[in-house]
Amino acid sequence: MASSSSTGPVDLTTSRFRLRSLTSADASDRWRGWTRDAAVMGPLNAPVRDLSRHDLANYIAAYDNANRYLIGIFEKATGSQIGFFMIEADRGHQTAVFNVVIGEKDWWGKGVVNEARAALLDFFFQHRGIEKACGAPLVRNFAAVFNYKAQGWRHEGTLRGQRRSVADGARLDQYQFGLTRTDWRALRAGADRK
Amino acid sequence: MSAPSAKMLLADAINADAATVPDDARIGAFERWDSIAHLRLILSIEEALGRQLDPDEAVAIESLSDVAGLIDGGRKR
Repeated sequence: MASSSSTGPVDLTTSRFRLRSLTSADASDRWRGWTRDAAVMGPLNAPVRDLSRHDLANYIAAYDNANRYLIGIFEKATGSQIGFFMIEADRGHQTAVFNVVIGEKDWWGKGVVNEARAALLDFFFQHRGIEKACGAPLVRNFAAVFNYKAQGWRHEGTLRGQRRSVADGARLDQYQFGLTRTDWRALRAGADRK
Repeated sequence: MSAPSAKMLLADAINADAATVPDDARIGAFERWDSIAHLRLILSIEEALGRQLDPDEAVAIESLSDVAGLIDGGRKR
């Protein structure tokens, strides 16, 4: 078993997906299409951009698999990438902030986020020394909020006007969700008993 | 025109008949209530109430009973 302070690339599987750390070689036209799609980027308050493959490769290369992880979600049946997680670890405080993008809209509403995130929570709590996971969806990102609640994360607060809309400059409210390692293990144990 | 019932709103959100929605439906326990259905549900609640939900109201929606509370509260306003 890896030590709690270990670092390095992640490679996991779930029933439907492979989750692995991305490299610059994963910069694809498919992914570039997501960054140009307002329906994908809008709920995240991320700007719609036409990135070159070179830009995207440089973006991916900035993730070090120690403090910052960029983990692709690949459908096992086809090998196609359908999205990715960005995870920022604070090893001093043993926390990790989770963000996720499902770029392939055919997969929306099909339980991708929570299936993949469950495996990542298991991994980061067990093998990367993380004690608490955090998430901060925008209040109007209802699908993301649903996923946190369905997975048992706790709503810990609401930050009023925390973000500036990239679309129109309006102030946007944001939730804080949290999940401790203890809570997650209790949820897992409860699920196993059912 | 009368406001739709909570069960009708959830049934529409999951594209199903209201008879298929259990009285105790809740997030995480009723499989058909998925993330896209939740998005549809909140937008339809807002349409029924004629206003946006505030953050505290939106994050408190976990069950059919919570939806009913919002709709009934809206009727009383």
